[in-house]
Amino acid sequence: MIRRSAEQRLDDVQRILDRTRILVDRRASLIPALVQSTGLSALGVEHALVHHLETDAKPEELQRLIASAGDARHIHVILSANVFVAALRAIVLARAAAPIVTVRPSSRDPAFANALVREIADPDIRLASDPSAMHLEGIHEGEIHVYGRDETIAQVRAAAPPNVIVRGHGAGIGAACIWEDFDRAAENLADDIVVFDQRGCLSPRVAFVSGIAAPDFAARVHASLAARELRIPRGTLTDAERADARRYADTLRFAGTLYEGDTHLVGAASSLVIPPSGRHLHVVPIENRDALPAALGPLAKSIVTVGVSDMEATLAWPRHARISLLGAMQRPPLDGPVDRREASF
Amino acid sequence: METRAKEAAPGKVRDESIALHARARAFVRAFEEGRESPEPFDALASDLARFQARYVAGYTNLVTARGLDPARFARAVDAPAVPTDAFKVARVSAFAEAETPIAFRTSGTTVGARGSHFFRDASTYDAAAVAFARSTLLRGFPERVHVLVLGPSANDLPDSSLCHMNEAFVRAFGLPNDGNVFFLHDDILDLAALDETVARILVTSDAPILLLATAFACVHLLDAVGDSGFRLPQGSRVMQTGGFKGKSREVEPDALRRDLANAFHISPDDIVGEYGMTELSSQFYEERGGGPYLEPPWARVVPVDPVTLEPVEEGAEGIARIEDLMNVDSAFAVLASDRVRRVAGGFELLGRAPGATPRGCSLTIDEILGR
Repeated sequence: MIRRSAEQRLDDVQRILDRTRILVDRRASLIPALVQSTGLSALGVEHALVHHLETDAKPEELQRLIASAGDARHIHVILSANVFVAALRAIVLARAAAPIVTVRPSSRDPAFANALVREIADPDIRLASDPSAMHLEGIHEGEIHVYGRDETIAQVRAAAPPNVIVRGHGAGIGAACIWEDFDRAAENLADDIVVFDQRGCLSPRVAFVSGIAAPDFAARVHASLAARELRIPRGTLTDAERADARRYADTLRFAGTLYEGDTHLVGAASSLVIPPSGRHLHVVPIENRDALPAALGPLAKSIVTVGVSDMEATLAWPRHARISLLGAMQRPPLDGPVDRREASF
Repeated sequence: METRAKEAAPGKVRDESIALHARARAFVRAFEEGRESPEPFDALASDLARFQARYVAGYTNLVTARGLDPARFARAVDAPAVPTDAFKVARVSAFAEAETPIAFRTSGTTVGARGSHFFRDASTYDAAAVAFARSTLLRGFPERVHVLVLGPSANDLPDSSLCHMNEAFVRAFGLPNDGNVFFLHDDILDLAALDETVARILVTSDAPILLLATAFACVHLLDAVGDSGFRLPQGSRVMQTGGFKGKSREVEPDALRRDLANAFHISPDDIVGEYGMTELSSQFYEERGGGPYLEPPWARVVPVDPVTLEPVEEGAEGIARIEDLMNVDSAFAVLASDRVRRVAGGFELLGRAPGATPRGCSLTIDEILGR
């Protein structure tokens, strides 16, 4: 295998980002298909494309990405379940590591990945001819990067030839830990919640608060989400998502405090309850920020990112999680996979 | 916003509760005596809902948030059901902790607390459980039989409602002098002791056995005995209940029934499913011969739309809203996560509602709980 230099890899990645910016500039024709496949509103798609595609990565971030990407002859990217913009990072990661990349878009949400690969127009980045994620007969070498639910990753691992390395990028959730500057934190947290209608693995669904009563903080997030509903309307929910929301609402009506907007729920209770995705947040009190690990408990292994107001604060745990500023939880630097949990690999 | 249940003198709450328990127990007595129920189901259900709306703080909140007036409840379905999740995060009881010495708890999940169901005493629970089991699970059996349990005793697991119920059945239906009848300790099946007990029964009386078992214990037994099987006396019956909870390999219900019948050398009709949960005080049993799950006159399973929570059309699939008149001091109506459908004579259990699979990479609630 001829190894590409770091500069060559950087050029390849930078070219992808340049082409992506062009695609975003021409997004009008893409939005209807994305509304259809994602369930987001048109403004929700627009917001995600303009603000949550990592096209302006800093050089040092890309250097970190390339340094950690590894080397492979050929990488097969399987995008089976993810938020649509994640296709960019997946392709960039693969291209940083391999001279040849084959992309298998999600069958449920193929529009963006298809458009992106066509726009990139790199002969060494191809769309797979067979859209079935489980059809691995043509894969004999290199690596498979599979993005999806745990069971999908397990199925791909089981079906992959023994000499092919499978790197799984699973599902997860985000959490926030807040102990100061509560009004700003509520505003920023609402920004993180509305993106992708909270369907991303970085989307915060639980906030742990100290120094403020949980219902008071919940009320502030409720107000912030209500304000955002006008600017970025929520898209459609499935019946199952609405059913889960109804169950969460009645649980919190019984067991805590519930603030109910037209398209969101914010609950506060002394115990942890996980609300469904769809712009719903559960607020739990903790004594102080050092109590976060204990409060997370076994949930920690599902946490991909923790949002905080102050990056200097000592939040050494969970170690695998990205620590992000509130308001930037959905904009992680393009320095590697968003999900750093070992279990995902 | 949170509201508080009305403060009441403890004696007043207790007096009201005692009166409601008496009315609930009258349903059981009438059933045992083959009489009509002493009053309409909806009448007691509405009074229970009013009592719980007065004295169970969370239920007060739920009723208020829904804009409902308990005084206007006339049918059971007029009152909201309490999601089972609420038992994990709040005290679902009309009484303070000091007055409820019995607490049954749900099995653990990876996230959040275990659900708790509190009781002042278990006499109403026991009376209902024994009465309905006698008429369904033990139909056609002598009054007393050998009752063996593939599960721990209530001493070993005092906060398990299933262990409590099994022990109540051993007391109510079991033969004296059977010795130790519990054959699961720390999730390990004591097959040698079970074998010895069954062999003794086969030699001395050949009388039928009622074997009470969890699904995972059944699988452990099947794996242990392999092809050689484990013969039970003719006419024996097996009650199997619960899920696998990661404690054994999972087996489809029909396959489990078939494999158990083969292993025990009994008819598949004698494998009877039980449906119950910690949050309830009543249980439901499959009709022998593969029929639907049967309800006692004091409990109903109402399939409801998962979003509106309104009852679905007859025969349509819905989420189980379970109305249990024996849940006097907690929640007479519980919203479970199981899918059900009404059929002639009872209801079908269709498995757990899968929960929403989001169009993205955020974890589902089920995935979080299952990790």
